Amino acid sequence: MTTTAESGVHQRLADLAERQIAAGEVRGAPAADPVNLPMIRHWAAAMGDANPVYTDEEFAAGSAHGAIVAPPAMIQVWTMAGLDGGDTVGPVAVMLAALDESGFTGVVATNCEQTYHRYLRLGERPVAATRMSGLSGPKTTALGVGYFVTWVVTWYSDDEPVAEMMFRVLKFRPVERNPEPAKHDPYPLAPAVNRDTAFFWEGARQGELRIQKCGDCGEPRHPPGPVCPTCRSLNRTYTLAAGVGEVYSYVVHHNPPVPGREIPFVVAVIALPEGVRIVGNIVECAAEKVGIGMPVRVVYREMDDELILPMWIPRES
Amino acid sequence: MRTPTEQETRAGAALPELRIELTPTTVVSTALATMDFTPVHHDVEKATAQGSKDIFLNILTTMGLVERYVTDWAGPDALVRGINVRLGVPAYAGDALILGGRVAGREGDEVTVEVRGTVSLGDHVTGTVRLLLPR
Amino acid sequence: MYSLSGRTAIAGIGATEFSKESGRSELQLAAEAVFAAVDDAGLSPAEVDGLVTFTQDANQEIAVAREVGIGDLTFFSRVEYGGGAACGTVLHAAMAVATGAASTVVCYRAFNERSGRRFGQPDPRLGGQPSSQGVEMSWHVPYGLMTPAGWVAMFARRYMHAFGATSEDFGRVAVAMRRHAATNPAAWFHGRPITLEEHQRSRWIVEPLHLLDCCQESDGAVALVVTSADRARHLRRSPAVVTAAAQGAGRGQMMMTSFYRDDMSGLPEMGVVASALWSMSGLSPKDIQTAILYDHFTPFVLSQLEELGFCGRGEAKDFVADGGIEIDGRLPVNPHGGQLGEAYIHGMNGITEAVRQIRGTAVNQVAGVRNVLVTAGTGVPTSGLVLSRE
Repeated sequence: MTTTAESGVHQRLADLAERQIAAGEVRGAPAADPVNLPMIRHWAAAMGDANPVYTDEEFAAGSAHGAIVAPPAMIQVWTMAGLDGGDTVGPVAVMLAALDESGFTGVVATNCEQTYHRYLRLGERPVAATRMSGLSGPKTTALGVGYFVTWVVTWYSDDEPVAEMMFRVLKFRPVERNPEPAKHDPYPLAPAVNRDTAFFWEGARQGELRIQKCGDCGEPRHPPGPVCPTCRSLNRTYTLAAGVGEVYSYVVHHNPPVPGREIPFVVAVIALPEGVRIVGNIVECAAEKVGIGMPVRVVYREMDDELILPMWIPRES
Repeated sequence: MRTPTEQETRAGAALPELRIELTPTTVVSTALATMDFTPVHHDVEKATAQGSKDIFLNILTTMGLVERYVTDWAGPDALVRGINVRLGVPAYAGDALILGGRVAGREGDEVTVEVRGTVSLGDHVTGTVRLLLPR
Repeated sequence: MYSLSGRTAIAGIGATEFSKESGRSELQLAAEAVFAAVDDAGLSPAEVDGLVTFTQDANQEIAVAREVGIGDLTFFSRVEYGGGAACGTVLHAAMAVATGAASTVVCYRAFNERSGRRFGQPDPRLGGQPSSQGVEMSWHVPYGLMTPAGWVAMFARRYMHAFGATSEDFGRVAVAMRRHAATNPAAWFHGRPITLEEHQRSRWIVEPLHLLDCCQESDGAVALVVTSADRARHLRRSPAVVTAAAQGAGRGQMMMTSFYRDDMSGLPEMGVVASALWSMSGLSPKDIQTAILYDHFTPFVLSQLEELGFCGRGEAKDFVADGGIEIDGRLPVNPHGGQLGEAYIHGMNGITEAVRQIRGTAVNQVAGVRNVLVTAGTGVPTSGLVLSRE
């Protein structure tokens, strides 16, 4: 929902973006250190990059480069601010700070495109020049509502452009959530419960697996409903299931992540000897051990202060 | 390092998979080697305080690993012209990054390689690398 | 008995481009597709007097009518159950035309399914409301069984167990669809065929389904013009006659989670549709030259081949072997590449392909097409069509 205050914020951000884009390209200071072998060597070692043109003088001399060159993907490394902290006055820095102040404090990079015109040699001292190129939003994303900010960096050696980068980040207003829900946080996947199904969930809270049974014809039914499809009776009762069953089918969920669950997890259709099937998780069992026909028995898991879910563990047959 | 054969650089050819174990040492040493001192790449407490599961790879490293993955295959005489990636889920310490790729297209000596780096949460990085192969 | 067979025809088809981010509103997409379909038929929007769409569509009929300049509407309806609605829109339109409730009905579906709300992502609200559907979902959502891939995977595992099918059998469907899409310039995966090895190597989504068993997500819109067969004969395109149209739901039916019925290895609702289509058309599977089968997930393509009678129960794995459903196979399925290869427009792009096959204008044209069978969403109450050339 867009309120007046929200659209005021949007207008301010859009106006600022326009000014920052109009400011054009702003050059930073030259690289603190010239392109040098020790930093290349550390980088190559950390990345596990064994390419000899970066570190082996003799090999490099005989290569197309004729001498040692820096890995192209290191281009940004040369002009990083290091421990001294970063730029606070450039057009992008001002835009990001304004987004922070408006509550869009989260940041996640979404795109990075680098183009290398040539490889850098030892002794060169690149300069990074930054221009902001776009602001789009607000957009609703999985992380929260946010703005995409795009900028372009060009690296110059003397006045020759040697590399470019387009970079895009999402600045978002974080949604309140805990990745590992504490014991008392509400479980995000709570069931909807109504008059027809409350008895089942109440049973789970008491450690009972209640299966609906028609009070007249005795037909068992799961999932339950208000009317017996066999005899039209509204006289509902339930039976307590023995709490054992067999896997009728199952899946192993890997993707995408599911709120409140750790992946991978197993979900199965369990056939009960009472004559119905029920869906539940199989726990305390490696996914690759699960199979159709596997005997299981029910356990009860506390999901939050309110909800207890019946789940299933392997059973000796 | 070796240079791939003509056959191995045809459109559709797959690159060998590379698995990189993301130990805390990997995450920290690459962050520092790329001069990135942002706490989320070396300080577990600060990383978890902002909602992350653990420390995670910085982007300069992702770019570096993608480049390395492709040049490992293309050999020391190939020239990298550009890398264009979309960034996905974080690559946390304790996870493994599995890089896969295939030749998406080839025009003369210029090849475009599609690269996908996955971690247990899903795609960490997907994109393309443009290379000039030696004649 | 009065029969709908042969009384109506699809006289125009239209679509937007298929993308991952349309960059426009869903209403604009709907309007563009409707214009394209009406233009294709050689009609003007003012001649349209009926509109049908999916219950799930976010564009009201009156909003679409306002945008494209449709005046008075004498018929409008919505069809329920996700992608199961696709062929149902044509059934509703055909019934309206055949009964005189309207003369020219446009069926449409428009969404930003990739850049907007993605059906493949878990949505905890699925089980949050005590409506009948919310309560139904609540037997599954709390256990994290809440994505279409998860629901289908549960059937796929049982199918494998019942008939000895393997993941590679599912993979052959994906390979066929991507082969067809590779030569269809409108397809998202144009020029990008896959191998069975690539299918097997693709990551798990929900075991036993790999990534390449799951169709893509797309932005786009499709529209179809339905009018009487007599009138269609005088319009600019050769008509695709509606020889049969049907909807179907089975006993004990649920939305994607019919795990509690006798058998989990088939799609009884598609069986309901199949017998209605064969009886209404007087045709049988051997009269069909190409079929458009709803392919949001590969395993249900196998079940559909069985339910529709193209092969016996459990025999679909042999039917799809050796390129059986590829363009040069015993029954070419989805020559446009299906939703796995072309785009996921909730089954509606498949109906346009069926019309092109009838007209003889498809990019991957099957020779000698007289009758095309089309199906809609699987795992849900569904629908189907037989379209014919005159």
